[in-house]
Amino acid sequence: MILSRLARRPLLLAAGLVLALALPWMIYPPVALDMACWALFAAALDLLLGFTGLLSFGHAAFWGGSAYAAALIAVHSGLPFPVAALGGAVFAAVLALPIGYLSVRLRGIYFAMVTLAFAQMVYFVVNQWRDLTGGENGLQGVPRELFGLDLSDSFVFYYAALPLLLAGFVAVWRVVRSPFGRVLVSIRDNPARAQALGYPVERYKLLAFVLSAALSGLAGGLFALGHGFASLESVYWTTSGQAVMMVVLGGIGTLWGGVIGAGLVVELNDYLVTVGFDGIGIVTGTIFVIIVLVFRRGIWGTARDLLAARTGRRRPGEPGSGDTQDGAPARTPGVGTPV
Amino acid sequence: MKALGRVAAVVAAGATVAGCAGGPGAGGGDDKISDGKVVLAVLNDQSAVYADLSGKSSVEAVNMAVADYKAKYGDKAVAKDVEVLSADHQNKPEVANSKAQELYDRQHADIVLDVPSSAAALAVAGVAKAKKKLFMDIGAATTELEGAQCNKYTFHYGYNTYMLAHGTGDTVTKDGSKNWYIVYPDYAFGQDMQKNFTAAVQGAGGKVIQSDPAPFPNDNFSTFLLKAPGLDPKPQVLGTMQAGGDLVNLVKQYNEYKLRDKGIGLAVGLMFITDIHSLGPDALAGTKFTDAWYWNGSPGNRAWADKFQAKAGKRPSFPNAANYSAATQYLEAVQRAGTDGADAVIKQLEGHKFEDAFAQNATIRAEDHLLLHDVSLAQVKPASEVKEPWDYEKILSTIPADQAFQPADPACKL
Repeated sequence: MILSRLARRPLLLAAGLVLALALPWMIYPPVALDMACWALFAAALDLLLGFTGLLSFGHAAFWGGSAYAAALIAVHSGLPFPVAALGGAVFAAVLALPIGYLSVRLRGIYFAMVTLAFAQMVYFVVNQWRDLTGGENGLQGVPRELFGLDLSDSFVFYYAALPLLLAGFVAVWRVVRSPFGRVLVSIRDNPARAQALGYPVERYKLLAFVLSAALSGLAGGLFALGHGFASLESVYWTTSGQAVMMVVLGGIGTLWGGVIGAGLVVELNDYLVTVGFDGIGIVTGTIFVIIVLVFRRGIWGTARDLLAARTGRRRPGEPGSGDTQDGAPARTPGVGTPV
Repeated sequence: MKALGRVAAVVAAGATVAGCAGGPGAGGGDDKISDGKVVLAVLNDQSAVYADLSGKSSVEAVNMAVADYKAKYGDKAVAKDVEVLSADHQNKPEVANSKAQELYDRQHADIVLDVPSSAAALAVAGVAKAKKKLFMDIGAATTELEGAQCNKYTFHYGYNTYMLAHGTGDTVTKDGSKNWYIVYPDYAFGQDMQKNFTAAVQGAGGKVIQSDPAPFPNDNFSTFLLKAPGLDPKPQVLGTMQAGGDLVNLVKQYNEYKLRDKGIGLAVGLMFITDIHSLGPDALAGTKFTDAWYWNGSPGNRAWADKFQAKAGKRPSFPNAANYSAATQYLEAVQRAGTDGADAVIKQLEGHKFEDAFAQNATIRAEDHLLLHDVSLAQVKPASEVKEPWDYEKILSTIPADQAFQPADPACKL
C-alpha cells in the first residue's frame, strides 16, 4: 500500500508529461495550444485563489496585457518568440505591482471588485490606444520566429512553446511546495495568526499576486503568439471569468484541477462549435452549476477524496500525508465559502 | 486483461476504418481539383449577435449558389464535386482564427466565406495569407482589409465603412441637411465611421457641429439626445454610428424625446434589414441609410429573394445575397481557370466585371481586391406604407459603383 502511494506521484507526473507531449497528435494542434495556455493560466490563478485565498476577478489584465506586450515586442523588434513571451510575463508582473499593492489590503468580495475595476481600466486603455493596439480590430500579423526558423505551423509551435509552459507549471508547483507556499496557506486559513507569528501578511500576498500575474502573463503571451494576434477579448472581463470557472470546475486549491478544468472547457467549446450547437453557454453553464452544487471540491478534488476514501488512509492535514503533498490543505475552501 | 483486449480491438478497428477512409480520397483526386472536390466553407456567427443577420441562412445561400452552378454547367462543370461546410466563430477572433486553420488544413476548404466583425475578419485574413488559400470577407466593415492589412488571398465583398459613411453623409447633406450632430460608439468601427462620415459631410458642403463618442456597449443615450436641440447652430440631423443593440436603444430613446418633431432628422451609419425587422418600421420611419442591396430593390433582386425564401423561410438580408454572389463568382472563376488552384483562381477574379443577383455594375478591383458595385440610399417606410412582410425600405437613389467606394489605398501591397 505504502509503495503504491509513493509510486502514485511520479506515475501521475509521468502520465501528465506524456499527455502534454501527445496532445497535438490527439487533438487539433491550435486547440491543443489553447488548452496548454489556459491550463497554465488556471494553475497560476489557483496559486492566488486556492493557496492564498484571494479571488482575483481581474487576471484578464495580466493575461491580455502580456498578450499585447508580447505581440508588440514580436512585431516591432523581431526578437525570437520566447523573448517576446518572457517580455510579456515581465510586463504583467510590473503591471501587477501597483494593482496588487492597492488591492491586497482588501478581502473577499472587495478584493474581487477592485481587481475587476483595474482590469476594466486596462481594457479601456487597450481599446482607446488604437495607434498602438489596433483598438477593437486587435493587433494582427504577429510573427512567430526562433532564430530564423518559421514556426507558423501550430504543430511545430506547440512543441516550441511547451518547454516554457512546463517551466511555468514547475514554477507554480515549486512555489506551492516551498516554505513560502506554506506561509501563503497559513495566511489564507488564519491571517491574524500568521501576522502574530511575525509574517508580513500583505507583503506575502503582494508577492503571490505578482507571481500569479507573471505566470498568467507567460500563458497569455504564448497564447497571443500562438494565434498570431492579440485581441481585445483577451483583456475583457469574460476572460477573467473563464479562468475562475476553470479553477472552480477542476477544484480550488488542487493546482492540477485547474489544468483539468481548462482542458474540459476548451475541448467542450471546440466540440460544440464543431458540431454547430449554438447554445454553448447553456451547456457550460449547466455543467458549472452541477459541479458547484454536487461536487464542491471540483473534479480533481472530488476524485482525490474518493480515492482517499477507498484506500481508507486519508489523514487530512497531517504533514507528509498524501493529501498535503502538493500543498493542498485539508480545509479546501468550497465554492460557497467567502474567500 | 479482458478490458485491455477490448480496448486493443477497438483501436485496431478504428485504425482499419481510418485506413479505408483515407484510401480512395488520396488516390481518386485529379491534379486540377485539389482532393477531388471544391470545398466552400462559411465561417460566421451562428450563436451571438450577428446570427440573425447572416449565420445559418447564409449557408443556405451558398448552397443555392452551388446548385445554380451545377445546373448551369452540368457535365461541363470543372468542379463536379462541390461541398459546402459551415462553422460558428461565436463572434470571437480567437475561435475564428483556429476554425479557419482547421477548415483550410483539415477539411480541405478551398475558400472561406463571410466572417463578420472586423477583428475576426482580420484574423482570418492572416490565416488565408499563411495558408495561401482564398478568403472572401462579407460580414466585416473595416477598410483595413483592403488597406494596410490587405493580402493577395483576401477579398472584401459587399460593403465597408467608407461606403456606409459616404453614401449617407454625402447624399443627406446634398439634400439640404447641412448641420450635423454625430454620436458614435467609441471603438474602432465607430471611430472609423465618424472620421469617414465627417469627411463626407464636409465634402458635400455641410458642417459637423459636434461629434460625441458614446461608451460601447451602452443603453442610455439621454445625455446626447437632450443636448442635441441646444447646440448652436441647431443640428438638422443626428447621425448615429451605433449598430445592433445600441442602435435599437438609441432609436427608441430618440423617439421618446420626439427629436424628429423638434426638427432633428435621423441618419444611421450602419443598419441591416434585420434591425428594422426587430424594431418595427414605425420606430425608424423616415431614417436614411446606405444599403448594399435590398431584396425588393429590383425585379431581379426580388426573383432571387423569392427563391431564397422558399429555402430559408425568410427574406434575405444583404449578407445573404452577398454570400450567394461571392460563392457564385468563386465557382465561375474556378470554371474559367479550369482548376481550383488558388493563384489561378485569383488571376481570374482580379479585374473581373460581372452582374449577378447581388452585384450590379460590379468589378473586383485588382489593386486591393475590393468588390465595387452599385449601392442604394434607402429610407425606412412608415408602417402605413408596408404592403407585405419585410417590405421596409424605399430606395431613394442608386450610388454608382465608382463613387460608392474609396479609391485604392496606396498602403495596400498585395
